[in-house]
Amino acid sequence: MSRGGREGRASFGATELPAEQADALRRARRLEWVSLAYLSTGIVVVFLVMGSSQAMKVAWVEDLLSLVPPVVFLVSSRLAGRPPSPEHPYGHHRAVASAHLVAAAALFAMGVFMVLDSGMGLVKAEHPPIGTFHLVGQTIWAGWLMIAAMVYTGIGPVILGHLKKPLSQALHDKVLYADSEMNAADWRTAAAAIVGILGIGIGWWWADAVAALLIAASVVGDGVKGIGNALRDLMDGEARTHDDREVHPLVNAVLTAARGPAWVGEAGVRVRDQGHLLHTEVFVVPTAPVDVADLEALAASIRDLDWKLHDVAVVPVTRLPDAVRSTPV
Amino acid sequence: MVRGGGDGPPHDEYGVGVVALTRRLAAAALVGALVLTGCGSIPRDPDGTLERVRASGTLRAGASPGGGRVSVDRDRATGPEVDLVEDFAGALGAEVEWRPGGEEDLVAAMERGELDLIAGGLTDQSPWAGKVALTRPYATSEFDGGTVRHVLAVPLGENAMLFTLEEWLDRRAS
Repeated sequence: MSRGGREGRASFGATELPAEQADALRRARRLEWVSLAYLSTGIVVVFLVMGSSQAMKVAWVEDLLSLVPPVVFLVSSRLAGRPPSPEHPYGHHRAVASAHLVAAAALFAMGVFMVLDSGMGLVKAEHPPIGTFHLVGQTIWAGWLMIAAMVYTGIGPVILGHLKKPLSQALHDKVLYADSEMNAADWRTAAAAIVGILGIGIGWWWADAVAALLIAASVVGDGVKGIGNALRDLMDGEARTHDDREVHPLVNAVLTAARGPAWVGEAGVRVRDQGHLLHTEVFVVPTAPVDVADLEALAASIRDLDWKLHDVAVVPVTRLPDAVRSTPV
Repeated sequence: MVRGGGDGPPHDEYGVGVVALTRRLAAAALVGALVLTGCGSIPRDPDGTLERVRASGTLRAGASPGGGRVSVDRDRATGPEVDLVEDFAGALGAEVEWRPGGEEDLVAAMERGELDLIAGGLTDQSPWAGKVALTRPYATSEFDGGTVRHVLAVPLGENAMLFTLEEWLDRRAS
């Protein structure tokens, strides 16, 4: 399979991607299509065998939900590629945070529903019945088939998730990161469902509902975390790393670069995450009258730090605005 | 050098990750296998229905007239489904203690733990599915101008009972 011929240049808006990122984007798209195909088969398989196990039902809903991040990634990465225009002067990068919010809100809502549903079963002490299948002259407990289905749906996403994670870092794509996390967590869902079914098998009717509750609670947790992170980006919070663990190291790097030229007295920066790209404003207090060419040279040197830095504006001021980052994080 | 994230070099990470995961999955499979061999018979009944029937020699069955499968005449149940249940009880080394009644009464009694099985000409379309566990259809017949698929009912979640009954029905059919 040769793709060399149509080595199409990939870009996010007006920002052309370096080779590493363009490659990561192509691979991420391909992985998401593979995910969609794999998850779809898993959804069919689990639906066919789920019977009346609550944990299986919850795992099935989670499988359904895990279709959302790949879909929103494919849509948002395409939207983010559109060039800016006078109507969309900032480009379409916010598609990423919007997609992040949609995916997180879907997770949260379904998680809450599943917690209530499973909790109700526990309170009402519902004893889940699991019957049998008749297969080539053998009567087989349906629980075994459910366990086999959970092993199948557990393994693929774990591998896909681990392949997606480094790509999400390369692309600074939070939707892809959230998706990789959810995939990587799928083995926990599968394991909990298996424990629940084995619990039913040995006569612990409550094991299934407890397993379902645990899965659902972790889904709610992921949803809350995701909503918080997506909203921070939408509300112009300071840029953080792709996994939202810490302030993005580029913030410090920009500040250091801004203080570089001899004519800069004080400097402050505002960096926000627009989705893949970091919108960067730099305020400088010159010690002497400064040329426009110097300002532009400083902006260019900052832009060259990293492909993600975009719309770099250097603004000369007599006094730094309040609440800009003027000391390293 | 400026890089996002605190995860270290990406390629290292996923190489190690997949290996560790495979190991973890293998361990889980091993534990699962040990649990299975250790526990002998799966599934079991949370309320011990099957064991009680075997130990006491009595299968407490509800009979509700319906579907041409069960008739009740002065507290005597007859019909093909009644014969079926008596055969099943025989296979467990038990006698049937019949309790005639309306479906709703019998389902309520089963929920209270007073019945081990209900024969009532039930079909797989039965609205009691959430309150009692229905077997897979064991026979079909023409009734009221359509094909109906006949099932029996056992207490909800008594999965050893359900398993044993379905297995017996499968063996009998073949």
